[in-house]
Amino acid sequence: MASYSLTTLFHERQRYVPGVLAVAFSALLIALQCGLLLGLFSITSIPIDHTKADVWMGAPAVLSVDLGRPIPESTLARMGVQPEVERCEIYLQGFAFWSKPEGGSELCMVIGSRLSPDSLGKIDKLTAEQCGMLAEEGTVIIDESDVKRLGVKGVGSTAEISGHPVRVVSLTRGLPSLAGPYVLCSIPTAKKRLPVQQGQTTTYVLGKCRNPQDAPTVVQRLNSYKDVSAFTTGDFSRRTQLHWLLKTKAGIALGYAAALGLLVGAVVTSQTLYAATVASMREYAVLRALGIPRWRIAWMVVSQSFWIGIIGIALALPAAFGLAWTLNRTMGVAMVSLPWWLQSAAAAVTLVMALLSGLYALRSLRQIEPAMLLR
Amino acid sequence: MIDDSLLMPALQGVHLSRSFGQGEMKTTVLHDVSIELYSGQITLLMGPSGSGKSTLLAILSGLLRPDGGKVMALGNDLWALSDQERERFRLRHCGFIFQGYNLFNALTARQQLEMVVRWGEGASARDARRRADDILGLLGLSKKAHLRPAELSGGEKQRVAIGRALIKDPNFCFADEPTSALDWSSGQQVIELLRSAAHDRGATVLVVAHDARIIEHVDRVVDMEDGRLRQHEERETFLHNAVARQQSV
Repeated sequence: MASYSLTTLFHERQRYVPGVLAVAFSALLIALQCGLLLGLFSITSIPIDHTKADVWMGAPAVLSVDLGRPIPESTLARMGVQPEVERCEIYLQGFAFWSKPEGGSELCMVIGSRLSPDSLGKIDKLTAEQCGMLAEEGTVIIDESDVKRLGVKGVGSTAEISGHPVRVVSLTRGLPSLAGPYVLCSIPTAKKRLPVQQGQTTTYVLGKCRNPQDAPTVVQRLNSYKDVSAFTTGDFSRRTQLHWLLKTKAGIALGYAAALGLLVGAVVTSQTLYAATVASMREYAVLRALGIPRWRIAWMVVSQSFWIGIIGIALALPAAFGLAWTLNRTMGVAMVSLPWWLQSAAAAVTLVMALLSGLYALRSLRQIEPAMLLR
Repeated sequence: MIDDSLLMPALQGVHLSRSFGQGEMKTTVLHDVSIELYSGQITLLMGPSGSGKSTLLAILSGLLRPDGGKVMALGNDLWALSDQERERFRLRHCGFIFQGYNLFNALTARQQLEMVVRWGEGASARDARRRADDILGLLGLSKKAHLRPAELSGGEKQRVAIGRALIKDPNFCFADEPTSALDWSSGQQVIELLRSAAHDRGATVLVVAHDARIIEHVDRVVDMEDGRLRQHEERETFLHNAVARQQSV
């Protein structure tokens, strides 16, 4: 059965090319759109994914890492007394206005953390040398991709955050931002420049477990306090990305684009199979006259749609990889993320689409009547 | 001792009628036609265009339901069977050859034949190949088994179509204008193959054609005109009468 389908696809490939290309286009679009979405929103959880903490504790029902509200510094003790927790520390993060030297301002995301080598909140892109530079109050490090956006010339430039002066002492590479450029600094520098963090407060308390597998237990215990909420690193990262996905509606827009791609793929594939079946109608009619059941012919059409799906996917996924690699290399950051589960999901959705197209094309079989062969 | 079954018709059409259209547009193409066909015989159904030959073949072969009358085939009332039972009957007992070769462009001669037994009987790939090669050998196409329709001549394509009809070893073989698209030499070969299906395999073969040259190669000739059987003669009688008619003109 498969051999007849494949043989037909190969020898009449010109007839089937539109269907294969439509499937490939759909699979490529789905993979890239979702990969782009994934890549884009993984930017929002960079502070979580690029630090060493196992447990994050913040204000009650905090929606995402960038929307943390002040909690008392004293809550550090709650984390510290947990038997599974090896060490803990405070971590500051919040939006503030960056005043450009040439005038104008930009919303930025200030991140203040301890800077020692064993720090839990230090972004892993910071080198030991850079951490040393940040020890001086009023010094900050920004990403090279944000230099222009923040209106500075680079290392050595000065600006103000919340009316307090800052000096750029170094640049990171590959730390993209979405809502506002990341500004990395020490806890004292951040505290002075985040207006809501005055007094004995912090945005988060981070904890490191002796055994990372104990993190859910610690989280469960900490969540018994009503004035805080706690998450494991993975949960908080997903929560942050999901919040951005839903808040910005970008997911819906990209989802629509992917759905449109699927629809186009489905229509073209279905029409290709319909036309191919109609073109072979007299041959199928002979088989019907010979008593071959209709389902055998239907199976042939569905089998062709399966192979069209497989070939389309086989073309699309390497192309998606190539395009993602090129884009990521050009942008200098991981704009598109294509994990194995995303590729599998894109392949599965596309294959189902191809099979449904094949089923829809089966309406052509109704026209097949053996008596049509008699003159 | 004569086998009684040979004296019984293998296929019998009784008082068959059929019309197309409705109201004033209604055209009756078969008027109370009865016919008997015997196994081991090749019968030629002749007549001018529009005389109802193909309609009669379609009704006798279970492809087109008659308005009236019945078709008895191997003891079955063909049109009293359900659609599925009739489909199974065709699968088990009927082979068809049409004017157009109707071969799949993408498949080789061997695959065109294999497909019928693999899909129809669920034959294994090995069995289907053996049977296809046997039939292609009988048709003189052993060396062309790997070729696709585009690489075959018209006569060769029709021989493949005959192979497709015969691979099931059917009791009945129906051929509608099987030679009309062929030159006489190829047409002759095709008729000889159908004749051998009747004589060597015991099949009941019904050929619809309007080429008088075929008469010499068949056992019986049935002549149709305006939806009625005009003659129903053994070949020799038909030839004799045809000559007589010609001389009287």
